[in-house]
Amino acid sequence: MSATGALAVRPGTEADAILGVVPKEVFSPADVEDARAVLGETARTGASVGFVGGGTALGLGRPPRRLDAVLRTERLTRIVEYAPSDQIVVVEAGLTLDALQRAVAAHRQRLAIDPPLPARRTIGGLVATNGFGPRRTRYGSLRDLIIGVSLVRADGALAKGGGKVVKNVAGFDLPKMMVGSLGTLGLVATVTLRLHPLPEVDVTLVAGKKTARDVRNLVAAMRDAQLEPAAVAALSTGPLFEVAIRFEGFPAGVAEQRDRLVPLVAKTSGGACEVLPEAAARAFWERHDALRTAGPLRAKVAMLPSAFEEFPEGWSGTLLRLLEAPSVVLYPTLGISFFSGVPSPDPAQGAAALASARAALAPAGGSLVLEEAPDGVRALVDPWGPPPPSFALMRALKDRLDPDGRLNPGRFVGGI
Amino acid sequence: MSALVGAANCVSSPSDLRTYECDGLTSFRVTPSLVVLPASTEEVAAVVRLARELGLAVVARGAGTGLSGGALPVPGGVVVALTRMKKILEVDLENGFLRVQPGVANLDVSRHLAPFGTYYAPDPSSQSVCTIGGNVSENSGGAHCLKYGFTSNHVLGARIVLADGAVVDVGGPALDAPGYDLMGTFVGSEGMLGIVTEVVLRMLRKPQATRTFFATFPSTDEAGNAVSSIIASGVVPAAIEMMDRLAMRAAVAATGLDWPDVGASLLMDVDGPLAEVEHTSRHSVDLARAAGALEIRIPKDENERALMWKGRKSAFAAVGRISPNYIVQDGVIPRSSIAEVLHEIEALSKSAGLRVANVFHAGDGNLHPLVLYDAKVPGQEKAAEELGGAILRLCLRLGGSITGEHGVGAEKAVYMGEMFGEDDLETMHRVRCAFDPERRLNPGKVFPTPRLCGDRPGPYVPHPTEVSGEATRG
Repeated sequence: MSATGALAVRPGTEADAILGVVPKEVFSPADVEDARAVLGETARTGASVGFVGGGTALGLGRPPRRLDAVLRTERLTRIVEYAPSDQIVVVEAGLTLDALQRAVAAHRQRLAIDPPLPARRTIGGLVATNGFGPRRTRYGSLRDLIIGVSLVRADGALAKGGGKVVKNVAGFDLPKMMVGSLGTLGLVATVTLRLHPLPEVDVTLVAGKKTARDVRNLVAAMRDAQLEPAAVAALSTGPLFEVAIRFEGFPAGVAEQRDRLVPLVAKTSGGACEVLPEAAARAFWERHDALRTAGPLRAKVAMLPSAFEEFPEGWSGTLLRLLEAPSVVLYPTLGISFFSGVPSPDPAQGAAALASARAALAPAGGSLVLEEAPDGVRALVDPWGPPPPSFALMRALKDRLDPDGRLNPGRFVGGI
Repeated sequence: MSALVGAANCVSSPSDLRTYECDGLTSFRVTPSLVVLPASTEEVAAVVRLARELGLAVVARGAGTGLSGGALPVPGGVVVALTRMKKILEVDLENGFLRVQPGVANLDVSRHLAPFGTYYAPDPSSQSVCTIGGNVSENSGGAHCLKYGFTSNHVLGARIVLADGAVVDVGGPALDAPGYDLMGTFVGSEGMLGIVTEVVLRMLRKPQATRTFFATFPSTDEAGNAVSSIIASGVVPAAIEMMDRLAMRAAVAATGLDWPDVGASLLMDVDGPLAEVEHTSRHSVDLARAAGALEIRIPKDENERALMWKGRKSAFAAVGRISPNYIVQDGVIPRSSIAEVLHEIEALSKSAGLRVANVFHAGDGNLHPLVLYDAKVPGQEKAAEELGGAILRLCLRLGGSITGEHGVGAEKAVYMGEMFGEDDLETMHRVRCAFDPERRLNPGKVFPTPRLCGDRPGPYVPHPTEVSGEATRG
């Protein structure tokens, strides 16, 4: 493969490796047209390509089977269109979440997702990895906020789906198809997103020393009381949780919900519920972000919310015993948790623990995905777990969109 | 087929088949060769397998309330009507989901959930009749999707019968199953990727309070400005609906409501925690006044509120009171161009010599212009269709969409090429081929030009059987 004049290209180095696989070349296209030229060129030469945004999720998945080239989206950072009165924005894939939030904050708006590392994470990368944070409790994930996408296909064709209006059912839902597809169906080139107004006030309350059952009861009580938190997250570095509840909106509504929550906590599990001053609230959410990105081993567990109650026994006990200095971040309304820590030095033991946790989660549709793991564990465990029952369809979709299997080959579920 | 589902559940007499020759878009009609009404996933799969052996196209159908001809039969094909599959299979309150069969009516889901204080959010106008299966196919919306989203935001999983008769589970009540978001890809695919036989729906806790107001305005300009300033203030209305003079007159004629004869009105809901909605409703009323509202009505009780909504929801059918025939159009514009687009529609309406009543979901810019005509007057039906098309092109010119909730179906396939380019459509077609390489499910819908699924995707090349006329395309 050779570079055309307009394309920035350099030889790949160790620093460009994806899960240990060093690319031969690295491209940094200056715009979407350049990116099309890169993909078109790879189609001619048969080169395999991986896509890199902020590089924060490079530990996700299996090592690529082949990696001739890496396409970095670092120069695709334009805000293509921003219509504040329509509350939509069109951005290139390489724009960081922080940069987007700064731009739309001028109109008192935001993209209602709050994953860790927003200064590094790019919109394209967030789409490709389905990145999210605690506000998913209220606003959903990117699949609920993405309204349009343009993608560069393996053959260099630029295809768009969705549109620029929030309500739109014309054509198949390519935007949702791209969410979580990890660069295996095409390069996310531009993304159109629905924005929300910035809340006027924001308050975080924290209740400490809660068991998993307390958390469950509190969530049920909040639901019964028709409270509408923007986020609920429980952090733990031992058997008990600290539960944070965040309310956002107009002052009257936030104050009233705050005041109703305090007795609810006392009633369901006893104990205090502290309204955090601004600095303490910021520190709490920073700690949340740190736990979400901690550890040489990090597993994302998704299950029915009620299935978490057995913590720290059952499947979760198996995971906890595997880890030294374990930490857990739980989103109790979503049924999603992140376990991280230092795995036992014997990889076989780690592999057995992960397999046993997966087996316990599977009957109710739960899953465990390794977001980070030491090489020893990776050698023995599929980071995705067994392929889902719909795998044949996923394979077919991949084969249609990338018939030569050149986009991030082997990295995704089932070796897609 | 009768061996598979029972003779009583097969419809083949010409007179009975006529019931199925169209959906809510009655101007498109095709009589199918057979209609089968299976009662289980296994029966649906068996029917689809047999259809495949016989080389027949398959069109799935719910209640037939669709407005874009999505359930229009294919000549010589089989219609699989899912109306017998209407069981609610499971309700899991703590985990916030329920599992239903596709033939359950949308409103029956919320009725079933009412005793638990929960509900299913998408509320298309036809919700008392339309089915969940149809909602999944069309990604149905409704008045309240500005705040709560569409069908695709509320479907967690499904059991799907594929074109080859295979049964596959996609998604499920636990979030984020590894792999592609096949569920998200499937919802809104208009019956072309598979037939759902079970659906896992998200349920929501009812909000603590709802506040509604009805405001009248001298014209749609002031009403449009009120919408813009309410949204700009940071309020996210649960619903904000606009009607113009003609639509209000029709609603009054149908329901006897005491609405004044004014240029436009808004009907708005906010919901959520009590203190929040008291603030947002008061604030919104102030903004509506500042934008030039003539009168604000706040319902005294639930009964009055229901009447206001009845007026709005009856507006489509009510237009039948003021015109012998009408076309319900569905297009989307950026919300901020409401006032502009209504002036352009008015100009188009004048030059076509046809009246247009406007009812729409103003918060998300989803227009429903109702083009009034008289089929007995030669040329009027055609002129009405052309006017509808001109309105869609106007939506596209402003950066909008040809459909916000009714779907592309048979009706709007011709406009797809104006909204999407060849590479866009070809990419969507590849998705279709991944699910249904023989293009057996609901052929002829959505895509403007027929395409084959090659063994390897590439530029379109006519298939030899197609050239010889043996195979039909689509």
